[in-house]
Amino acid sequence: MTTTQSHRVQTHEPILELNDVSVTFSMDRGDSRVVDEVTLDIERNEVLGIVGESGSGKSMLASALLDAVVEPGTVSGEITFNPQDEPSVSVLALSKGDRQRFRWEQIAMVFQGAMSSFNPVRTIRTHFVETLSAHDEDIETGMERAAGILEDLYLDPERVLDSYPHELSGGMKQRALIALSLVLEPEVLVMDEPTAALDLLMQRSIIGLLEEIKTQYDLTIVFITHDLPLVADIADRVAVLYAFEIAELGPTEEILSEPAHPYTRLLLKSTPNLQAPIESMQPVDGAAPDPVNVPDGCSFHPRCPLADETCRASDPDPAAVSARHTADCHHYEAAPGAIPIEPPEMDEIQRTPSHHDAADEPLLSLDELEVHFETEQKGLGLFSDPETVNAVDGVSLDIYENDVVVLVGESGCGKTTLGKAAIGLQEPTGGAVQYRGQDIYGDGSDVDATDRFTADEIRRALQIVHQDPGSSLNPHHRISAILEAPLKQWYDDLDGNDRQSRILGLLEHVGMTPADDYIDRYPHQLSGGEQQRVALIRAMLLNPELILADEPISALDVSLRVEMMDLLIQLQETFNTSYLFVSHDLSNARYIAEKTGGRIGVVYLGELVEIGPPEQIIHDPQHPYTRALRWATPQLTYRDDRAQTPPIRTIDIPDPTDPPSGCRYHTRCPQARAVCAESVPETKPGSDAVGHDVACYRVQDDHDYWEDDPIDDADLD
Amino acid sequence: MVFNNWRIRRVGQAVFTVWAVLTLSFALVRLMPGNPMGAMLVQLEQSGMNPARARELVEARLSVRPDEPIPIAYVNYLTSTVQGDLGQSIASGEPVANEIAQALPWTLFVMSWSLCITFILGVVVGALMAYWEGGRLDVGLTSWAILMGSIPFYVLAFLLLIFLSYRFGWFPAGGKYVAGTEPGFNLPFISGVVYHAILPVISMLVASGVASLGMRGNSIRVLGSDYLRVARLRGLSDLTISSQYVARNAILPMYTTLLISIGEMFGGSVVLEQVFQYKGLGYYLYRAVNIRDYPRMMGGFMVITIAVVIALFIADMTYSMIDPRAGGSSNESY
Repeated sequence: MTTTQSHRVQTHEPILELNDVSVTFSMDRGDSRVVDEVTLDIERNEVLGIVGESGSGKSMLASALLDAVVEPGTVSGEITFNPQDEPSVSVLALSKGDRQRFRWEQIAMVFQGAMSSFNPVRTIRTHFVETLSAHDEDIETGMERAAGILEDLYLDPERVLDSYPHELSGGMKQRALIALSLVLEPEVLVMDEPTAALDLLMQRSIIGLLEEIKTQYDLTIVFITHDLPLVADIADRVAVLYAFEIAELGPTEEILSEPAHPYTRLLLKSTPNLQAPIESMQPVDGAAPDPVNVPDGCSFHPRCPLADETCRASDPDPAAVSARHTADCHHYEAAPGAIPIEPPEMDEIQRTPSHHDAADEPLLSLDELEVHFETEQKGLGLFSDPETVNAVDGVSLDIYENDVVVLVGESGCGKTTLGKAAIGLQEPTGGAVQYRGQDIYGDGSDVDATDRFTADEIRRALQIVHQDPGSSLNPHHRISAILEAPLKQWYDDLDGNDRQSRILGLLEHVGMTPADDYIDRYPHQLSGGEQQRVALIRAMLLNPELILADEPISALDVSLRVEMMDLLIQLQETFNTSYLFVSHDLSNARYIAEKTGGRIGVVYLGELVEIGPPEQIIHDPQHPYTRALRWATPQLTYRDDRAQTPPIRTIDIPDPTDPPSGCRYHTRCPQARAVCAESVPETKPGSDAVGHDVACYRVQDDHDYWEDDPIDDADLD
Repeated sequence: MVFNNWRIRRVGQAVFTVWAVLTLSFALVRLMPGNPMGAMLVQLEQSGMNPARARELVEARLSVRPDEPIPIAYVNYLTSTVQGDLGQSIASGEPVANEIAQALPWTLFVMSWSLCITFILGVVVGALMAYWEGGRLDVGLTSWAILMGSIPFYVLAFLLLIFLSYRFGWFPAGGKYVAGTEPGFNLPFISGVVYHAILPVISMLVASGVASLGMRGNSIRVLGSDYLRVARLRGLSDLTISSQYVARNAILPMYTTLLISIGEMFGGSVVLEQVFQYKGLGYYLYRAVNIRDYPRMMGGFMVITIAVVIALFIADMTYSMIDPRAGGSSNESY
């Protein structure tokens, strides 16, 4: 385990020196410079975080370190490996053969897409063997080393090596890829968004593992990400990239607590997290520049609140903020005063109280809902029984009018299936869903004919907004046609002009102006955020009573997320709908739930383990799984406890076809005791707060649990 | 849950298709107005045979007894077909099954060679095009592939006949082997067989145009994949990358196409063998159509259908062996 001091590099001993490194692509529109004269030293044994929005050139910079920029891009400048010791290597001048050896033996790289970084038709073992033999290493000792690394990454070497890539989960694949990158014992590991496709808990666990691996294998890590809070957990120094240049570079602690560049300050403010008051979170206005057309002077000036003539005229050089902290800004001294990160003063926070009380009739009521999927057996057994995945298992939940419930959980835990079953898109295999007292999957005979809703009315009342707006809009229809369809269906008394004016009004309402221009476009002519707005308006035009928003912001750029969430919240107030949100990110869940006075529900392996107001879930979680999720959520502060042992016992989620007995979390729970493996804890109030329920024996003070022995290596407390 | 297993479902599908084809041909003979029975009767009677004798002959040849109730006749027909009794040829009086057994190997010989060469040619040319994507070679070969793909094989067959056979006399214009050689494993016979098969095989190679375009697309997709990039960074040799990474993954989708094209080849052999006077199954079928030899036609069609059904069945069953991701279900994360 590393010491907490490791971020302070005592000696100045660079392992990689970059001098005026640029990456250029020739395009029809002109030369596109996607890395612009970056000069940077990477210290031996440090973790350098490189942070930037998508399209800021961070991946290109990473590839340039190995001279691996894809054709037709060209790298210029100078990159020196091992500049102070012999043999020092000029990376860009290597011959083909030398370069082939240099890569992976000295600098290895891990890509974001672990899913696609393995050859799908060969086993993991073959990948290791190939790599070893390509570099003339002894296969046997090399494979022993590989097995050791896999074990250090909490993988079972035999099992993983004999698997095909598709047989491993995302997190396992990512760790296998890390092991593959370390098999030749490189000095430097470049990681390009290595955890972006993973769940928070897996992300955080891998970050923790990286710290151990780094010490054990004596590595220097360059960690590239769009996620500032994530890198805060591991990096010693952080470089913030904006418009293909480094905007600010300094020790992680200083970048987080006293950033000097206006962009860094705005970026920090726009990032949802668990601690800062939500009122202080604001999006960064404007958009990052196009590489062909970078603004003159300081490239950030069009978006910068401090910009003046100097900024428009001249490109700032790095200014020393402190000994090891530089910012490329003319006004770095004024920035902290002009862009406060903490809100000036904490007003009495206006939070909408919960709209409902227990006496209200729920809008939608889930009763012991179960959705089981049967999967087919692999292998040659002709008469084997199919396996069953219990995607949703016995969930009961009431959603009221104007209510907001956010479901969080790891991927594959059944939160989306639960949402779909709730709005009538996935027929449950057990339990019932009632819309105002009527079973939505029944024929309506359970209620009096006078109160009965038709299937169409229920369908209209329960709507969905999908995760990927690009594929939920018909690419061959114009926006006007897409938005007119629901109106034609439900309001046949409106004529064409009425429909048009209603659509225009809504488009303007969500900030898509000029609306006249937008309605004639096709979906591909809109940005991701705009597409999602159209999808949202389309759902809203039906005047639904409940919208299932399935990860509606996860496909968007980080700086757009807060804006989108604000819009969702505003629309909810305007249209008086209820939301059932699905999210894998606790920070986003907290933002939505806190702003709307809603609840957060935590789902684990098809069960709702804890639900309650965001204050309780975030600040006083009762279920150990909620605590693990909270631990996994990156924070924007420098944490002294960042290398602490994770509050879970195993990283990988159990096989959903064979869920653990008793409490399903007991295999990972650090507080599990014998009884947890035997019986399922019933749901009990978790605190005095209204609507806070927890399914864990630990909230029952008088339960036998407290007398039991802890299982395996669980703590006793 | 027996039917949950896709293999069992797949066997069921194959059996159903074969049954459907048998039933359709039964209906064809029995129920259609101006049916084969009537046609055959008229034919025989016109040739001066007395009606009772003609009827007897028809019953024997078609395995049809008109006075039999249809359900019983249907069952009898199915059982005799399953036992390999396809009736007797009108023209020769020989059992159809024997005739087919003699003709089929020749067609299979030509077909398997064309399939093999088409596949290899398609893969190699497609890979070359993909490797030099956008280059001069790519443009040239793409034009060639489109040209090949758009020429009907029989047009090429005629061109080959006119030039290579009649004009230059390099190849024989018809026949299956050199007259006078002793059929069996001896050099003169085998070389004669190969010599006679060359032009028919070349004619069928037009299919390689489409195959190479498919391979080109697949290869370009693989060339852009992340795992290829990682493989290069890992320093793997070009040989490993091109064979184990690019070719292996690009060929996968072509495997099914290959087996599907068996059907096309059988269909094509009807015209091809006529053009080259090559006496295989296709030639035999063509003649049967011309002289309205229904037992032969039905037998031939049935053999072709069953061959295609079997080919597709094999394709489905073996695909999981070459692609570990296929196989009905995923067992992700164990």
